[in-house]
Amino acid sequence: MSQGLKPIGKQLELMALEVVTLDGEDIQSLGKIMNSIDAIEGLSGQIDQPVFRRLTGAVKQYLEKLILFEESDVAPLEEGVGCLQDIFRAASREEDFKKDMGPLLEKLGPPDLTPREENVKETENHDSNENVQNQDAEEIQELNEEDREILSDFVSESLENLASIELNLIDLEDDPENLEAINAIFRPFHTIKGVSAFLHLEKINKLAHGSENLLDKARDGDIKVEGNVVDLVLESVDMLKRMIQGVEEGLRNGTALERGLDINPLLDKIQSFISRSDALSGKLLGEILVEEGVITKEKLDESLKEQEEKPDKKLGEILVEERSADPREVVEALRSQKKFGGKKPLDLQIKVDTKKLDILVDMTGELVIAQSMLRQNETLISVGNQKLNQNLNQLNQITSTLQKTAMSLRMVPIRSTFQKMVRLVRDLAKKSGKQVTLTMGGEDTEIDRNVVDELYEPMVHMIRNAVDHGIEEPQTREANGKPANGSLQLQAYHRGGNVIIEISDDGKGLDRERILEKAKANKMVTDEADLSDSEIYNLIFQPGFSTAREVTEVSGRGVGMDVVKKAIEKLRGRVEINSTPGQGSIFTINLPLTLAIIEGMVVKVGEERYIIPALAILESFRPEKAQYSTVKGKGEMVLVRGKLIPLIRLDRIVGTKGKYQNPWEGLVVAVEHEKYQMCLLLDELLGKEEVVIKSLGENLKHIRGLAGGAIMGDGRVGLILDVAGLFEIAREDY
Amino acid sequence: MGFDTSIKVLIVDDFATMRRIVKGVLKQLGFSNIVEAEDGSAALSELKKDPVGLIVSDWNMPKMSGLDLLKAVRGNASLKDIPFVMVTAEGQKENVIEAVKAGVNNYIMKPFTPETFSEKLEKVLGD
Repeated sequence: MSQGLKPIGKQLELMALEVVTLDGEDIQSLGKIMNSIDAIEGLSGQIDQPVFRRLTGAVKQYLEKLILFEESDVAPLEEGVGCLQDIFRAASREEDFKKDMGPLLEKLGPPDLTPREENVKETENHDSNENVQNQDAEEIQELNEEDREILSDFVSESLENLASIELNLIDLEDDPENLEAINAIFRPFHTIKGVSAFLHLEKINKLAHGSENLLDKARDGDIKVEGNVVDLVLESVDMLKRMIQGVEEGLRNGTALERGLDINPLLDKIQSFISRSDALSGKLLGEILVEEGVITKEKLDESLKEQEEKPDKKLGEILVEERSADPREVVEALRSQKKFGGKKPLDLQIKVDTKKLDILVDMTGELVIAQSMLRQNETLISVGNQKLNQNLNQLNQITSTLQKTAMSLRMVPIRSTFQKMVRLVRDLAKKSGKQVTLTMGGEDTEIDRNVVDELYEPMVHMIRNAVDHGIEEPQTREANGKPANGSLQLQAYHRGGNVIIEISDDGKGLDRERILEKAKANKMVTDEADLSDSEIYNLIFQPGFSTAREVTEVSGRGVGMDVVKKAIEKLRGRVEINSTPGQGSIFTINLPLTLAIIEGMVVKVGEERYIIPALAILESFRPEKAQYSTVKGKGEMVLVRGKLIPLIRLDRIVGTKGKYQNPWEGLVVAVEHEKYQMCLLLDELLGKEEVVIKSLGENLKHIRGLAGGAIMGDGRVGLILDVAGLFEIAREDY
Repeated sequence: MGFDTSIKVLIVDDFATMRRIVKGVLKQLGFSNIVEAEDGSAALSELKKDPVGLIVSDWNMPKMSGLDLLKAVRGNASLKDIPFVMVTAEGQKENVIEAVKAGVNNYIMKPFTPETFSEKLEKVLGD
C-alpha cells in the first residue's frame, strides 16, 4: 500500500466504527463522522478513482441532511461508508473498482450545486409566519404578567441595540470590510429577529430577517457597506424603531402590538438589492479562476456571455459542464473567494488611554529639555571630547525623533468626524424637502485628537446652516438653471503647518445688502465705511447677528454663527467665509495641527522672554516718533496705516522693566483679537519658534494674560501670552 | 420527563430578553438551578468558578461566540464532558454543521417551543 493511502484507511476505519454504533439521532457521533469525512475529502486526491471523490461528496451531503434532521434513515450512510471502504481496498491493491454506484448515489441524494435550501427556508418561513399570525389573533388580549414583562424588556433592549447600529455604521463606512463592525450591526438585527419570533411579533421578525439577509451578504464580502446599503440599513433601523415603539404603545394601551406600518416596500427594496448583488458575485469567481490560470480571460468572457443567456446557472456550473474547469478547481476558487473575498488584512492596533498618551508627550517634552540642558552644560562643553560630542548628537537625534513620534500618536484622521455628517445631511435634507449630495475629500488628513472632538459641534452648526438656508428647494434650483440636487462638500487638507477644513455648498450664497443693512441697524458698522465683500460676509460671525432672525432667514446664514467662531477660536483656529451670490458659500476653518505645539514669536522685554502666538500677530515695526500720540481719556496711541491703535506697554502688564521706554526706540507688535487691535511695546524680537505648550499647573492656571509655559531651546522657561487675556487687562487698566 | 432537572444550567446569550425566554422554558421543564452569562468569555469564567451540568448557548454573541465557547469547553480537560446545546437562528445550516463538527451535543433552532426543547434535552441528558 502506498504511504499516501494510510491516513485515509485510518479515517475510514474510525468512521465505520462510529457508523456501526450509531444510535438514531446521536448528534455528537454524527459530528465525529463529519470530521472523518472532511479529512477523507481532503485526502481523496490520493486515490486514483474519481468515483471515490464523488461518493465521499455524496456521503457528506447525506450526513449533513441527517444532522439537519432532513433525513432520519441511517442505512444509506452505512452502505455509503461500506462502499468507500470497498473502493479503498481495491485502490490499495491497485485494482479497478467496477461496481455500479448509480443506485447508491441515488439513495444518498442527487448532488446539488444550487442552494436548494434557500427555497426550503423561504417556504418554512411562510408557514411559520402564518401560524404565528393565527396565534397572534387569538392570544392578543391574554397577555399575562410574565409576557408583558418580557415584551417590555424586549422593547427597551431592542431600542438600545438599534441605537448602537448607527455608531457602528460610521465605523463601517470608514472601512467597508471591517468584519467586526459588520458583526456589530448584524447582531442586533439577528437578535431582534430571534426574540420577535418567540414573541409572535410577525412584522418585526420579517423586517429584521430581511435586513439580516442583507448584512449577511456584506459579511460574506458579496456587497460593500456603503451608500445605498447604508441607506437601506438606516431605513430598516428607523422602521424597526417605530414598530418597536408601537409595541410599547400597544402594551400601555392594551391595543394591538404591531401597528399597521407597511414594511413590504422596504422588504422589496432589500430583496432586489440582494438579488442584484447575487448576480455580481459570479464574476469574482471567474476572476479568481483566471488568476489561478485555470481558464483564460477569453474563456471567461465567453462563459459569462453564456451565463447571461442562462441566468439561473452559476458560472462554476457552466465551466464544469463545458469541461473548461475541474469541479475541484472551482470549489478551490470558491473557497478562496469566500476566504479572501476582497477583505484586506487588518493592521495590528491596540487601544490606549489618552491620558497615558498625554503623559508620554509630556515626558518626551521633558526629555528634550533635559537633553538640551545637557548639551549646553558648560562643564561638558569644556571637555571637548569628540566621542562625547558624537554621543550627544546621537541623543539629540533620538530625542527629536521620539518627540515627533509621540506627537503623531495624538493625531487621528478627520474621517470619523466627516462621516458623522453623512447621517446629519441625510436627515436635514429629508426634513427640509431638499436634495443634497454630500461629498468629501481629504478624510485621511490627520488632526489632534482633542481638536477633533471639539470640532464636531461647530461643524454640525455650519452644515445645518448650509442645508437649511444655503441650499435652495429643488424647484428653485431648477428655475435658476442649477441641478435639482444641491451639493455640499467637506474638504480637509494641510497648509503650512495648519489644517484647513472647508465646507462649501452650491446654494444661493449670502445676501450682502441685507447683512450690511442689519449690521448698520445694529450699529455694528458705523457707515458706508469701505468694507470689502469678505469683511461684510464675516460680519455674520459677530455676536449681534445671532438674534437677527428675520434677516438671516432671508440672507441665508447667521443664526448662532458667533458660537461657531468662539468654538473655533478656542482651538486657536480661525474661521472665514466666502460667498458668491447665486453660486454658494465656502466656510474655511483654519486650525493648528495640534494643541500641544504653538507657533509663536519669541520677544524680549527687559530680562524676560515671552512668546506671542503667531496667529494673533498682524505686524511688527518700530514707529516713528510722529506716529505716537497720547489721546485724552484713551491713553497712548500709535497711528498705523491711518488708524489709531491703543499702545500697551508689555513690561507694565507683566511686571518687569523694559529696556526701552520710548516707542520709537523699542519695537511694537500689533496684535488682534476678535476684531480689536492693540500694539504691544517691547524691546526686541528674537525670532519665530515652534514651542511645546506646557500647562502652568493648577495654581497658576487662572492667571490672566498667560496661556501657558514653554521650555525654550536653552532649557529655560518662556511664558506664552494669551492675547485675549491681555485685551481684558488692558481694557481695565487703561 | 426522562432527565434530571436538579442539575445546574448555564444560559449564555448577549440579549437579556432571550436569556429570560430560555430561562422561562427551562423553568417550565422543571429546572430551578439556573445561572446566566452574557457572552462566551463571561461563560468561561463562570464555568471555571463552578462547573454546571448543562450549557445552553446562543451562537451569535460579541467578544466570544457560541462556537468559540464550545471549542474552549471541549478543549478544557475538566469541562469537556459538559453537555452543550447550541441555540441557532432558523436557516443557519452552515452554523449547525460547524457546531456539530466542534462536538456539540445538540442544537435547537429559534424559535422553539418548550416541547421541542424538552425533546432535545431528553436526547442530550436522557439515560
